[in-house]
Amino acid sequence: MIQTPDATSLHDKMNVVDLDVFYGNFQAIKKGNLAVPDHRVMALIGPSGCGKSTFIRALNRMHDLTPGARVEGTITLDGTDIYAPDIDPVTVRHRIGMVFQRPNPFPKSIFENVVYGPKIHGEKNAKRLLEIAEKSLRAAALWDEVKDRLNRSALDLSGGQQQRLCIARVLAVEPEVILMDEPASALDPIATSKIEDLIGELKKKYTVIIVTHSMQQAARISDFTTFFLLGELIEVGTTSDIFTRPKDKRTEDYITGRYG
Amino acid sequence: MAQAVARVASSDTLASNNARSRRIVDRIATGSLWTAAGSVVALLVIFIGYLFYKGASVISWHFLFGYPSSANAGGGIGPEIFNSFYILILTLVFTLPIAVCAGMYLQEYAGPGRFRDLVQFSAESLATVPSIVMGLFGLLIFVQMFHWHFTALGGALTLTLLNLPAMMRVTQEALAGVPGTYREASMSLGATRWQTVVKVILPSAIGPLITGVVLVSGRIFGETAALIYTAGASVSFGKSAYDFNPFHTAETLAVHLYSTHREALVPDADAIGNGSALVLLVMVLLFNVVARVVGRQLTIRFTGKAS
Repeated sequence: MIQTPDATSLHDKMNVVDLDVFYGNFQAIKKGNLAVPDHRVMALIGPSGCGKSTFIRALNRMHDLTPGARVEGTITLDGTDIYAPDIDPVTVRHRIGMVFQRPNPFPKSIFENVVYGPKIHGEKNAKRLLEIAEKSLRAAALWDEVKDRLNRSALDLSGGQQQRLCIARVLAVEPEVILMDEPASALDPIATSKIEDLIGELKKKYTVIIVTHSMQQAARISDFTTFFLLGELIEVGTTSDIFTRPKDKRTEDYITGRYG
Repeated sequence: MAQAVARVASSDTLASNNARSRRIVDRIATGSLWTAAGSVVALLVIFIGYLFYKGASVISWHFLFGYPSSANAGGGIGPEIFNSFYILILTLVFTLPIAVCAGMYLQEYAGPGRFRDLVQFSAESLATVPSIVMGLFGLLIFVQMFHWHFTALGGALTLTLLNLPAMMRVTQEALAGVPGTYREASMSLGATRWQTVVKVILPSAIGPLITGVVLVSGRIFGETAALIYTAGASVSFGKSAYDFNPFHTAETLAVHLYSTHREALVPDADAIGNGSALVLLVMVLLFNVVARVVGRQLTIRFTGKAS
């Protein structure tokens, strides 16, 4: 179901202005500009190596951890520049959570995985932690499958369950934006459809930005779509416009399968 | 058999005509490699067997816990065994904090750059210093300059210098074995680097880390050259065999083995040497076994998976 939201009336949760990302001398993102509407799902599509993952990792300052990576330009969250010198990247990542391509639960129990975030942010009350764990696992549609074995290792879960656990782990820190870097690419079709259903639920409370290599997935789950090519943001629009009335020839070629 | 030959012949005609000679070369190679690997095991078995054969008859309660004798037969190695453990523990107390912190810094904090290269280069250079040179350095500093004379503390500090690089490397490698995805996951949840290291990286690395510590301990336990001129080649007579004063002379088992062969006046020096060698070898082997068992158990406990 493609929704057709009215873009002009939406508040912009994040704003990217003239973003350049370099790895050493290689420029992976060239002058990227993007407004991300609040409480919507924004899909980033494009052929492999076009810079989608690089772009999304700039949004919560993950490039700070990569030696040799350099980010220039402005990215704002509710109007605040997240790369300003007085901004602590730790607080940025608290507000902007991330789900990775491969499920990456910690080698700890299911419970410890979910409450990892709240614990490092200072929550010590055992009862409160249990509440957070249940709430987050329910929100990630995993509670019923794991409620009897919260103390078992998270590594015993299936890939799809692990990925939903990772989503629960992100929800537990109560972020405002959730970044997803091809969250279903390592999963089978059934696990994928569960994740997609979940994303539909998540946008009620969060702003979701998702990288996907599957155009069908983008069409199914997103409100807006951005098309990337060779490090450039070619076209941004409502998902229905991008897929039915692309303005740029390159977008059209990609959508219709003539490219990449 | 005839069938097999026939099949070989027919496959030879199907495949290239050098298939047979290639197969023979392959068999010879496999056999040679197996022999090389097997000889490692054989050497160990022969070595242990020989030491047991020579030394087992010497082992007794009195030998293991008794006092060494300076002139008569029947001396024991009690204080030496104690000193070996005492110096080992002292050394670990000095080595572990510095080495683990330095390794942690290099692996988790330092980006590529001059300072990391400098630390790495210093550690590698330090690692190549022969233990006897380190022993003479200890002699100059702790024994002569500080006027400590031969002491357990001087020996332990010398061993600290000797083993710091190895321990640092062990730490680095244990941390490097932790998947980068754990770091990413932790940092993306808003953890600081320190929280990530303490709550995710270290628990995941604890198995290899402990294994490394125990293996280095085995080396410390068997070290001789660095101790002869720092901790001394005699025990503090007239006091208890279990002398906790770090400023007393403290001959270890390995040094005792050396000194009984070199300068002992006792008539049963050979027997004592054989017995000491056996005890030393068994202890060091035990360290290796313990390293494996404990490392595996801790990995399972902390990560819920066998590795």
